Amino acid sequence: MSDDSVPLALPLLRLAAGSSEVTNLYRELRKPLLRYLICLGITRDEAQDVVQDAFVSLQRHLSSGGDQENIRGWLFRVAHNQARNRQTSYDRRFGEALDGKKDLQANDATPEEVVLEKEKFRRLAAGIQALTNSERECLLLRAGGLRYREIGEVLGIATSTVGDTVERAMTKLAEKCNV
Amino acid sequence: MCDVQGKLIGWIDRELPADQTGEVERHVERCEECRRWVATYGQLGEAFDSYCDAVMAAKAPRRVPGWMPVLAGAAVAASVMLLAFLRTRVEPPSIVAPAVASASLPNSVTPPAAEPAPRKATMRRRHAARGVQERGTEVQAMDTAIEIAIPAEAMFPPGAVPNGMNFIAELRIAPDGSVKQVRLRQ
Repeated sequence: MSDDSVPLALPLLRLAAGSSEVTNLYRELRKPLLRYLICLGITRDEAQDVVQDAFVSLQRHLSSGGDQENIRGWLFRVAHNQARNRQTSYDRRFGEALDGKKDLQANDATPEEVVLEKEKFRRLAAGIQALTNSERECLLLRAGGLRYREIGEVLGIATSTVGDTVERAMTKLAEKCNV
Repeated sequence: MCDVQGKLIGWIDRELPADQTGEVERHVERCEECRRWVATYGQLGEAFDSYCDAVMAAKAPRRVPGWMPVLAGAAVAASVMLLAFLRTRVEPPSIVAPAVASASLPNSVTPPAAEPAPRKATMRRRHAARGVQERGTEVQAMDTAIEIAIPAEAMFPPGAVPNGMNFIAELRIAPDGSVKQVRLRQ
């Protein structure tokens, strides 16, 4: 299945509910959700299952007249909780994920650029490993485009706490990465 | 360290209250250290984003090259053709002269006595286990058997056996893959 394709279950649900809203949301948010879940440490297959389940839950939520505000935060929260429930490998470190797995650069990168990029990612990985789970999750959700209020809803913490956590995490990363 | 530094991330993310936003903005304009931190946080954010993309890409499923299905199909077709060829080679010849062949063979390749005398000219291909049941000999212990048709002229000097005569070699394969026993029959 390509990244932009829509799973069979969703069009069927869409027809049943008479709405294309979920399909549009799926196209918009599937990739950010997948990235967040994979960076949390679950496998790609698990992440795809979680995303699928989250959108099926969203369809049910909307069909039953649920709150339509902050759907993006709602989806991330559902996916986050499902990932935690099913995840035995949740503690796999995000910062270890790239070691020796794949060339990260585009084909036109020079050898010097490749080395520099690898070194940058190595330091960044070391910095990420030094973060707490909460700090890492806040940064991941921030990178996913969520506002602090939405991050707070996903993680169940206050918006002001999110601001403090993000600021602390970025400072730690800056120190570890020597930038 | 500048007092405003703790608000810089919130300012970059546009999460500060309106009254603080203007205050930080004016401060950053005249504070070089804070401007450096703003640039640093911006670079860190981009690097973190790239890192997330790289993690996701590193865990992407490997794509199968486009020529792989074609190659697999060709391999399957070749295997089927080879098997079909080998099956036809197992057929014994329609005309045989057992007296000459058996006279030139050692004892181990003498055709079994229980073999029915009149043979059909048509295809007779047996699984080794079926032959074991018919003969009831020590061959019953065979765990693996392979039948290979070998032209007689490939084994004996010219003229030693009639033209067109074939032998069936029954191989007994040991668990380690080596050949434990070879039995020739017509």
